[in-house]
Amino acid sequence: MSLDYVKFSNGFEKFMPKEYRDMVEHGPFGKKVSVSQMGSFKEVLEEHPMCAGCAMTLFIRLAMIAFPNPEDTITVGTAGCGRLAISQAAIPFVYGNYGDQNGVASGLSRGLRLRFGDKPKDVVVMAGDGGTADIGFQQVLHSWFRKERFTTIMLDNEVYGNTGGQESGMTNRGAVLKMAPLGKKFEKMDMVQMAKVAGCAYVATVVPNNPRRVESVIKKAVLIAREVGSTYIQAYTSCNIEYAIPTDKVMEDAKTVENDRYAFSEYVSDEAKQYLTERYGYKEFLSKPATPAAIPSKA
Amino acid sequence: MYLVADINVEICASKSCKLCTQYCPEANTILYSEEMGKDQGFKYGSAYVAVDRCKGCAQCVWVCDNMAKNNAIKMIMIDQLPKAALTDNVTYGEKSTTAVLASPVVG
Ligand SMILES: Cc1ncc(C[n+]2csc(CCOP(=O)(O)OP(=O)(O)O)c2C)c(N)n1
Ligand code: SF4
Ligand code: SF4
Ligand code: SF4
Repeated sequence: MSLDYVKFSNGFEKFMPKEYRDMVEHGPFGKKVSVSQMGSFKEVLEEHPMCAGCAMTLFIRLAMIAFPNPEDTITVGTAGCGRLAISQAAIPFVYGNYGDQNGVASGLSRGLRLRFGDKPKDVVVMAGDGGTADIGFQQVLHSWFRKERFTTIMLDNEVYGNTGGQESGMTNRGAVLKMAPLGKKFEKMDMVQMAKVAGCAYVATVVPNNPRRVESVIKKAVLIAREVGSTYIQAYTSCNIEYAIPTDKVMEDAKTVENDRYAFSEYVSDEAKQYLTERYGYKEFLSKPATPAAIPSKA
Repeated sequence: MYLVADINVEICASKSCKLCTQYCPEANTILYSEEMGKDQGFKYGSAYVAVDRCKGCAQCVWVCDNMAKNNAIKMIMIDQLPKAALTDNVTYGEKSTTAVLASPVVG
């Protein structure tokens, strides 16, 4: 967990695959990279078996670029489509049993603090809507109530994608899926509200059709989780297979869903605002200077 | 046979907005080269596709047509590509990449 872990052992460089050499020499480790430089540096994410055109893949790709210190980050995941890509990156990945991910991440982030003290080591959970809001619900909520300092990202495709289309708590009412043929009878769960009630210091909803915004919310969430408390990002990451979205229309769908039920929202606690401002130089939370009082005209 | 994305350097380099690479779901697939455009007298470089990583979703086509409004990308059967970039022939530099284009791409 430092810049050393990606370096070559003496004498081994010539045996390493080209992709690995490119990553060591031109990857994001130890540098600041951004979405605007995409296409010019080697990304840590490698080839993986997620479906062509999947919006979740794009979101994971953007997330890995947004991590403030990829060399000091561990991702935690669970059963579901996302782990197929998250595990294929040069960032250590821990695979929790289905639904265990926030329990695993709690222990991991506490252990890292014991071992490394104040040196930030970031833990980021990325799991599906089923893994987060259904099977992992209890562990997710409790980690938030305990104010565990790591980031939880829900990859919300509004379905159990990996197992062929069962409804989840995050599926919309009325949605007809292969394994929910009568249509879902209940409303989509309001996990954003629950995150706020449980005391998360940062809560955001985002869709992947605005890469810079994805980058910005992930950076804030990871930084805040270093010291202030739990952070939660809920991202709409459509499943083009289970919802039959033509792959070249995935971004059009993201825009429609953003307008319908996934408007960008961001809650930042006062403590987190102060922390980002003082520690990381964020300007957006500074109170606007009061308009200067009109100078009284001389009589 | 299957389709992959192909970027027309002349059309792309006139705009070179880099939007397609920000929206391609696959990492390290749509890359950017300063040389590719500048070699042809354009002020900016061009995007290009490492076709061995492309999954053929055509999202980049939608992005270039509808967001960039530049129509620089077409889907082409992989064996019909006259020349294309493959990951093995890509070299990363400080701010951009270069690629030696291979021909034929398959077969
Ligand atoms: C304890 C347990 N129960 C069931 C499964 C089977 N399983 C694997 S992935 C999955 C659904 C994943 O859905 P979601 O979390 O929404 O992620 P998605 O695949 O949609 O990204 C299930 C039920 C499992 N792996 N472990
Ligand atoms: S099944 Fe759906 S969510 Fe899973 S990789 Fe395919 S498109 Fe993405
Ligand atoms: S979106 Fe179109 S114009 Fe913009 S970089 Fe890509 S190919 Fe070039
Ligand atoms: S077709 Fe899809 S995978 Fe291929 S370059 Fe375009 S966006 Fe990327």
